[in-house]
Amino acid sequence: MLEKNGVHIAAISYDSPEILAAFAQKHAIEFPLLSDKASETIRAFGIFNFNMAPDLRSYGVPHPVEFLVGPDGTVVKKYFVPNYQHRVTGSAVALHEFGTISSDAPVVALESGALTVQIGFPSPKAFAGQEVGFFARFIVKDGWHIYGSSVPANYAATSVTFDGPDVVSQRFELPTAEMLNLPALGETLPVYSGSFQGIGSLVLKHPLPEGKLVLPGHLRFQQCSNTVCEPPQTFPFELALNLEPFVVSERDLARTSKSQAGRQRP
Amino acid sequence: MRNNIPHDLAEKAAAMREFGRLRAAGLPVPAEVRARHLWATNDGYATGPDPGERIPDFALPDQFGIIRTLNNLAGSNGLLLVFHRSADW
Repeated sequence: MLEKNGVHIAAISYDSPEILAAFAQKHAIEFPLLSDKASETIRAFGIFNFNMAPDLRSYGVPHPVEFLVGPDGTVVKKYFVPNYQHRVTGSAVALHEFGTISSDAPVVALESGALTVQIGFPSPKAFAGQEVGFFARFIVKDGWHIYGSSVPANYAATSVTFDGPDVVSQRFELPTAEMLNLPALGETLPVYSGSFQGIGSLVLKHPLPEGKLVLPGHLRFQQCSNTVCEPPQTFPFELALNLEPFVVSERDLARTSKSQAGRQRP
Repeated sequence: MRNNIPHDLAEKAAAMREFGRLRAAGLPVPAEVRARHLWATNDGYATGPDPGERIPDFALPDQFGIIRTLNNLAGSNGLLLVFHRSADW
């Protein structure tokens, strides 16, 4: 999805070109894997991980940062999740930067009369532990509005929340709301009308079994017109992702089977 | 940019080894061990150039041994450059 938007992908690690060649062949990776054998580029970027003792195999690794860089070398955006097992998906980057959604994207539509909302993931594929982007497209009927954040307690702000134990953390952002002055009530409130889109992301738990993962969630909103204000509503929904199997290195596999056979390493 | 070597490397290495031992053995990892491992690996983390800044020049061989630079990697809208630990473990 990034390629379609003219963004190429490359990965950098301290592995030798030979190791990278074997890895690329095994996992059918087509994008360039760059070999920073002495971690010089990692140091030049200022992301060398100084926490690793020199006798560890992890000595020389970077902090796991992803840079979206313009053709002129200027950083457009960077992504960092402070746990190397959580990575931002390519589709999350495409969604946040380019609003791209794949044709097989899981999407649900919710309707309340004055409001139609489509909530979905830009792609059905994800890995356990990943940060996954999601979107919510709102269409509010003419003459109606729903509320932004920072409303008095008797109003409900619009929100999309995923529930359940498989989501570790999440955020959801709507564009800046319009301030609507309601002279009859003596209030000025943040509102949305017309069509607009919110974008969010969630971090999936790790580990999770591969295959279909159903994530429950709920949309909360309150729809009002200039004459009627309906009570706040909560619409539950479900969206499914396909969790890909984790790539496990030969060395980890060998170690796991060894210890399962009862032979502990010293 | 940080260039100093922390004095607590041995303690961090112990936290990483304990986490690795449990994972490799397929044993459950207690929250406390996971938290110590996260501290050990991420302590004082740095994330490099910020949006608007330029990345340093680089020239590195790819999996085919071809030297790659930003110029021969970027598409019309640029490049997503992913730094990761290792393809070997």
